[in-house]
Amino acid sequence: MSRSPLPYNPKILELFRNPKNLGKMEDATVSAVAGNPLCGDMIIFYLKINDNDVIEKASFESYGCAANIATSSIVTEMIKGMKLEDAWKISWKSVVEAVGGLPSVKFHCGILAVGALKRAVRTYYKNKGVSPDWLPKEPTFEEKQALEEEELAKILSKRMKAEEEK
Amino acid sequence: MLDPYKIREDFPILKRKINNHPLIYLDNAATTQKPKQVIEAIKEFYEEHNANVHRAVHTLSQEASELYENAHEEVAKFINADGMEEIIFVRGTTEAINLVAYAWGLRNLKREDEVLVTLMEHHSNIVPWELLSKINGFQVKYVEVNDDGTLNYESFENAISHKTKIVCLLHVSNVTGVITNVKNVAKTAHEYGALVLVDGAQSVPHLPVDVKDLDIDFLAFSGHKMLGPTGIGALYGKREILEEIEPFHGGGEMIRNVTFNTITRRCSISLNDLPWKFEAGTPNICGGVGLTAAIKYLKDIGMDNVKAHEENLTEYTMHRMQELEKVKIYGPKDASIKCGIIPFGVDDLSSHDVALSFDSYGIMIRSGFHCAQPLHEKFKLKSSARASFYIYNTRKEIDWFVEVLKEIEHF
Repeated sequence: MSRSPLPYNPKILELFRNPKNLGKMEDATVSAVAGNPLCGDMIIFYLKINDNDVIEKASFESYGCAANIATSSIVTEMIKGMKLEDAWKISWKSVVEAVGGLPSVKFHCGILAVGALKRAVRTYYKNKGVSPDWLPKEPTFEEKQALEEEELAKILSKRMKAEEEK
Repeated sequence: MLDPYKIREDFPILKRKINNHPLIYLDNAATTQKPKQVIEAIKEFYEEHNANVHRAVHTLSQEASELYENAHEEVAKFINADGMEEIIFVRGTTEAINLVAYAWGLRNLKREDEVLVTLMEHHSNIVPWELLSKINGFQVKYVEVNDDGTLNYESFENAISHKTKIVCLLHVSNVTGVITNVKNVAKTAHEYGALVLVDGAQSVPHLPVDVKDLDIDFLAFSGHKMLGPTGIGALYGKREILEEIEPFHGGGEMIRNVTFNTITRRCSISLNDLPWKFEAGTPNICGGVGLTAAIKYLKDIGMDNVKAHEENLTEYTMHRMQELEKVKIYGPKDASIKCGIIPFGVDDLSSHDVALSFDSYGIMIRSGFHCAQPLHEKFKLKSSARASFYIYNTRKEIDWFVEVLKEIEHF
């Protein structure tokens, strides 16, 4: 057993061991949480956006598996210097491709990363009070798959509340 | 002691290879594998006796009815109930608990009443009560769990009062394997006039359970966690209580007569006897047959032997796991107060990655919340990995499990 016991390709293992852009961003323009309450994975995306709607930098925090960390890491690299409109077009399949492929049971990690990015972009425009033409009115597939903090917290805290109420 | 190597020969699936490794099945708390005796019984039923029950005078229906009734008798004997009148067949533990909640709880729980539930319950013993409380307005109160995963009996004593109408607790935790002292809880609950509903999903398959000795009012469990097929389980209820309760589902089988009154233009209904009063519609006849075969298999081994084998294996596994530097076992380390369930974590790794890594070596374990999030919140865990054992697991398998775990911790 000389190879890693984790059934991921070398690129994912490298990103898992040495993720790029990991950590909270103090001067972020916007942040978004995305979580999957079923597997327990959760990520937070931070974006620093300039006046021309270009992403100057991106970072993330993760409470998840290797696939979750690797896909989040690669998304933060992919979108650096991108216009928000172009970042929006990144599909979860292209993220999976960028990390060199994922086991099919881990596709949801790529979806979660893109969902977090899209939630951050949507929140940015919502805070700004503008709605560009290219931004779909209805939440996309990836956004629906990535529960926002409130929804996630609602599910997780329900029982904590029951505990506290005693 | 039982011989797991001999037992393994009865389980066709254990001959499988997964990812080029012999299958090691350590997800028995989720569901167990099936011996050929159970598979054969199901096959034989469909090939020889298939018909609907209690409907027709023909030979096949008589045979099917007899097999199905006999299944109730076998379950009753297995848990020392007073005959098949006390055994209601359901889809599984979840439906059994919902039956109590809706057939009994809906009509009997008032606004000022309280339902006691412990924080170590499976979702199936929390959600029905929370949902019902939204209709009836009663309070659901939670009993604390100690830091090591055992039930906090002091918290139970403090929580129970004359307002408590039912105490709902598990017998064995599906997360930690801890055995709760159901007998003591039942004694106290009855002093306050409360009923006791026990979730036996993880106890009935793994240790001798005697409803008379425990003196509990309801016991819910699933066939598929004890070598039987999915979709069949049982609710035990004390006869005098079941007689008082109105039916859960309405339909055929649960009624004796439906007569149409031409003056009132309404149907009047007279209910069937126990247990059929609670089994509306065509039941899972073949499930009952499969469960009978599973019970026979377990009885032949002896439930004391099942328990001893699991305890022995659990002790050995926990001992071996302690060699590992980055592996943490959650819950009590004393195998004698547990069934064969070991929750654990590996530093710096998500439980899903641990399970996925094991899978590539042919080892099936569970990861995630195991349907008991409150307990994970208590332990401040995101999620945990879980290995759980049964009669066909061997020390040899554990040695390989530990070898692989060693590799995983040094990923």
